[in-house]
Amino acid sequence: MSILEVKNLTHTYDGNTPFMNDAVKDVSFSVKKGEIIGIIGHTGSGKSTLVQHLNGLLKATSGEVLLDGKNIWDDPKKIRLVRSRVGLVFQYPEYQLFEDTVYKDIAFGPKNMGLSDDEIAHRISEICELVGIKAEYLEKSPFDLSGGEKRRVAIAGVMAMQPEIIVFDEPVAGLDPRGRADVIKMIYDYSNKYGATVLIISHNMEDMALIADKLIVMNKGELALFDTTENVFKQHEFLKDIGLNVPMVTQVMLALKEKGLSVPDDIFTVDRAVDYLLTLSKGGNHNA
Amino acid sequence: MLKDITFGQYYENDSFVHKLDPRTKMLLLIAVIVFIFVSQNAVALSLVALLILFSVLLSKVPLKMYFKNLKAVFPIIIFTMIINLFYNASGDVLVSFWKLSITTGSLYRAFYMAARILLLIIASAELTYTTTPNDLTDAIEKLLSPLKFIGLKNAVHTLAMMMTIALRFIPTLIEETQKIMNAQKARGADLESGKLIDRIKALIPILIPLLISSVRRAYELAEAMECRCYNGGEGRQRMKQLKYHSNDFIAFAVVVVVCATVVAVNMIL
Repeated sequence: MSILEVKNLTHTYDGNTPFMNDAVKDVSFSVKKGEIIGIIGHTGSGKSTLVQHLNGLLKATSGEVLLDGKNIWDDPKKIRLVRSRVGLVFQYPEYQLFEDTVYKDIAFGPKNMGLSDDEIAHRISEICELVGIKAEYLEKSPFDLSGGEKRRVAIAGVMAMQPEIIVFDEPVAGLDPRGRADVIKMIYDYSNKYGATVLIISHNMEDMALIADKLIVMNKGELALFDTTENVFKQHEFLKDIGLNVPMVTQVMLALKEKGLSVPDDIFTVDRAVDYLLTLSKGGNHNA
Repeated sequence: MLKDITFGQYYENDSFVHKLDPRTKMLLLIAVIVFIFVSQNAVALSLVALLILFSVLLSKVPLKMYFKNLKAVFPIIIFTMIINLFYNASGDVLVSFWKLSITTGSLYRAFYMAARILLLIIASAELTYTTTPNDLTDAIEKLLSPLKFIGLKNAVHTLAMMMTIALRFIPTLIEETQKIMNAQKARGADLESGKLIDRIKALIPILIPLLISSVRRAYELAEAMECRCYNGGEGRQRMKQLKYHSNDFIAFAVVVVVCATVVAVNMIL
């Protein structure tokens, strides 16, 4: 049973003006509960526009979004309910912090859902444990934190609403390697703990290889590929054609293959590459 | 909703009006505005109206763009009409109730005032549709440059630079506001319903991030300008020099003729 289904979604910006353009063209896909889906595509390929339809921030020009088989726009008055079920974390979410303490900022979402103070406190302590925000941070001003910490607080603000589906628009943009790893782990842990479905837009193929079960490839507003991460990365030539790439370690492996080594083409993480190269050296198969 | 703000948006095209020197357009706009108010009767005002209509057609900017602009000021026009409808007692009484009465004179007055506002908006919109913000500030700087003789040497340049920056950042701010609104809506913020007090409170999560990012942007911009050795107007030259062409003189001539006719009509009628 798919929890989220997008059917023939088209979005046209500035219809009937000289600036008119189709940002998303006839996109259809469906996502099962608990899956982690990566969305990759060149800048301007319609990724951000696409995900803003999933919680009803944008209304499709044509086509529909089904949540548990029901069109999210069936009852326009309940669109805020949809937004608490489908969380959306924007690019650079730290720029939307506004409260005077971290606690209050994380509480903003749950409060809008109308939860009781006790429930909010409970959720915040739970989420802070999950994402590694220390208790003493809760009374600090969010503006005194470092960039990576702010990002984590902002993401926790959406996670505290405990959405069944959570969508991230480039969650690791502009972070250092440590901060990036932290955020990726947060997303993975959240999905695991609540069985939540995750969609992530990213330009970082390494991160995608690490956590995504499936990949959606967008090209010029159209859905070019939708398959398992493995099958998508196997089509490295097509990806290159549309301005994307495979993880760096896969590029190394492909280069080795070109030199005549018999390398399988499904190595997308450094760990697997290390394993493979070790067996290769132990097996003494140097001339293959 | 925020996308509907078109005032001050340049509409790229290649027309007689687009190619006029921005100083010409500015001076002529001022002249036209003055003469909208100098006109004392319908004949004089329709002369100005014809001039504006003619220039609008010359600008090759779709009329739709102008109408879009007028939608926003429509309430003001209606309000002005209603007020004027009751404030002039000349002529025959048409309708009368309570202490108020509508006369032929007040009806005429109401439409006259509405026409004035309409013409004002259309004329100023035309300037912004046909002139890029940068050209506009260049023109202001040039037109104000005589002020340097009375000791305001740097002030003119600073003022023009401030205006350029302000204009440059309007679209950026609108985009930013939209982004923050979306982000807070995604967190369940309710911006569309509730009592007035609730709605005002709902603006806090939008205004604070907007203020913070504006200050941050200002610092970044100041630093970037300093990195490029900006230190005020002294010794700065322009890549694009403003120059009057023959078309500018034609435009000046046409407007002067119309203005003179308006004065004549005022005196005769």
